[in-house]
Amino acid sequence: MSEYNQVTSEIVKELRGLLGNRNVIYEDKAKLETYSHDEVDDEEYAHMPEVVTKPANAKEISKIMKLANRENIAVTPRGAGSGLSGGAVPITGGIVLSLERMDKILEIDEDNLVAVVEPGVITNNINELLAEKDLFYAGYPMSVESCFIGGNVAENAGGGRAVKYGVTGRYILGLEMVTPEGDIIQLGGKRVKDVVGYDFVKLMVGSEGTLGIFTKIIIKLLPLPRHTVNLLILYKDIETAINMVPRILTKSDKTPTAIEFMDKESVLLVYKYLNEHLPLKGAEALLLIELDGNDEELMEKAYQSIGDVCLNSGAIEVYVADSATTRERVWKMRRNIPEAIQTYSEIKSSEDIVVPIANIPDLLVKIRKIAAQNNVDIFCFGHAGDGNIHSSIVKKPGTEQANWEENLEKTRREIFQETAKMGGTISGEHGIGHKRKKYMKDIMDSATIELMRRVKLAFDPNNILNPGKIFDIEEAK
Amino acid sequence: MKLIVPIKQVPETSNVKMDPETGTMVRSGVEQIINPLDLYAIEAAIRLKEKFGGEIITLTMGPPSADKALREAIAMGCDRGILLSHKDFAGADTWSTSYVLAKAIEKIGDYDVIFCGERATDGDTGQVGPGIASWLKIPFLTYVSGIDQTNQETMTVERNVEAGYQILKIQKPCLFTVVKEINFPRLPTLKGKKKARDIEIPTWTPQNIDVDPENLGLNGSPTRVVKISKPKVSREGEKLMPESDQEIEDSVGKLIEYFEKLEII
Repeated sequence: MSEYNQVTSEIVKELRGLLGNRNVIYEDKAKLETYSHDEVDDEEYAHMPEVVTKPANAKEISKIMKLANRENIAVTPRGAGSGLSGGAVPITGGIVLSLERMDKILEIDEDNLVAVVEPGVITNNINELLAEKDLFYAGYPMSVESCFIGGNVAENAGGGRAVKYGVTGRYILGLEMVTPEGDIIQLGGKRVKDVVGYDFVKLMVGSEGTLGIFTKIIIKLLPLPRHTVNLLILYKDIETAINMVPRILTKSDKTPTAIEFMDKESVLLVYKYLNEHLPLKGAEALLLIELDGNDEELMEKAYQSIGDVCLNSGAIEVYVADSATTRERVWKMRRNIPEAIQTYSEIKSSEDIVVPIANIPDLLVKIRKIAAQNNVDIFCFGHAGDGNIHSSIVKKPGTEQANWEENLEKTRREIFQETAKMGGTISGEHGIGHKRKKYMKDIMDSATIELMRRVKLAFDPNNILNPGKIFDIEEAK
Repeated sequence: MKLIVPIKQVPETSNVKMDPETGTMVRSGVEQIINPLDLYAIEAAIRLKEKFGGEIITLTMGPPSADKALREAIAMGCDRGILLSHKDFAGADTWSTSYVLAKAIEKIGDYDVIFCGERATDGDTGQVGPGIASWLKIPFLTYVSGIDQTNQETMTVERNVEAGYQILKIQKPCLFTVVKEINFPRLPTLKGKKKARDIEIPTWTPQNIDVDPENLGLNGSPTRVVKISKPKVSREGEKLMPESDQEIEDSVGKLIEYFEKLEII
């Protein structure tokens, strides 16, 4: 099964016939290279495609899939390539199917509060257009200016607003999709309720491009909240900061849209990276809390009460950012942490663990211990409000490369073990892809994985679409 | 020390849209914020006060809703605010605006230093700061990037110029327009926000200050906007993508020819 045929010049000719010359990249190494990786740093996860195709519609995709099945060639679908699990990497070569040309917002249906978009639309652009109509789409991945909505659906992206609004899946009402065998099917629709048959829309969300290629996405819209306020709260230690998170969630009148955590080390790196400086007043940990709503007075009351609670339970200072300038300033810090870490050490691995929120304090203490024992640096930041902590395991500048690989593996295993013990899991929003594939067995029982394999084969009997992601088909036999 | 910070409320322009018909900005639904460059002036004043004590008064001329900008400045650390708001002020250009602000500052009186932002992000003229100083007949420095010394009579400051820095001594009272390099503006604190919510901000009209009605608003402004047009950006270019050795050689030849024509080489 794993033996795929090579893409021959005849096949390229056929693809060019289907899509036009300019929409097929072949033999141009510089151009192909772009499609060989996503945003996972480590080169070991990259792989060159044999050919890149850029279809313009479902019919063309259907033809590509039929050709691929006929010729036994793997197809890897690709959005913006901003993923963090290697999901869009063509690990067996073959065809990359890039959705970059399918970038139209097809319809904004204000009466039904839905929009219909193509998969290659930059998620941020949807919200820019919707804002003019006082509407918004609540999915908010952090790579706002680059990621595509199609990738968001494929990965069930989470991001900054999940505490209040949940993750991408909550807003996907329907899909037009090309199956791995090339059929064009419609799932769901502009309907709030639908219990006819299995919920394939939910199955597709987060399927990491292994079960189908989305060609139209129907997203649910919400009225745009008129006011947004952020609190940036300084704490003398991580425990006090994190212990506040469950309290804020359970005790405050208003559910925050986001509760983000940053340790001092991450913040100092981002200060340097952005040429930014806000007095930390001796803080070791920061929380960034966001509230939104329509009534300005209620908002003021809500942030005042959360702020007071924080100050009364050990916070050093509470900064308030309620203008476009100040809000962007605090979020820019949070968003740029991954890039800032990159400037500290290029050799790193970004993890995406998630635990029940009450376990976050314990987890962070354990992570620090594990880092010290394994001689690596770990920067922790992320979505404290939903238990999804991003920990960047970073090679200490000056340590040996050989030791690093060993240390990384050991660190990762130990963190995953601790996470599992707490009822957590190894990815909250980045996905498994092929980067975390080998840890699936540590976190999921074999009967469940076997069921997933059968689902995959039901959709894709020849294992053509994005093979080698999440789990391997071969091991089933 | 008595420090004065005139500020301006401007539309948030990071995502600005232009009306293709009129050539003006689409203002509906656009958030109003403190001119981002004024934040550096506010911070400079707060730091000076932290060092030497005193009082910071912030003022703005604008519609009643501009009171929000003053409250934000107070939340950051200014002590009180004054709103200059009246229909007769409306439509003022930089000449008339600086006239009214200067008259208001004269009424406040007894000030040591006035801090202004370098320019406003909407009008982008950079004229109001120097205008105020001219009306008040006090010395001023633009593009101030650092404050070295503050004495009873004088101040020594760094000024950003094209080739580097100037270090200049200036007689007080004086006015500075400051650049971004001068500091990192602080964020308002929860305590500051509360103070700003509760404080009373007086509104001054032409009746409150000693102004000549002839100099106010659109009628008092010598500037006339005759037409707003969008500059056309036109670029011409040629892309050379040589692959073979011969093509590379030809391309280099073409580049040399091009540079010679432009007298670059």
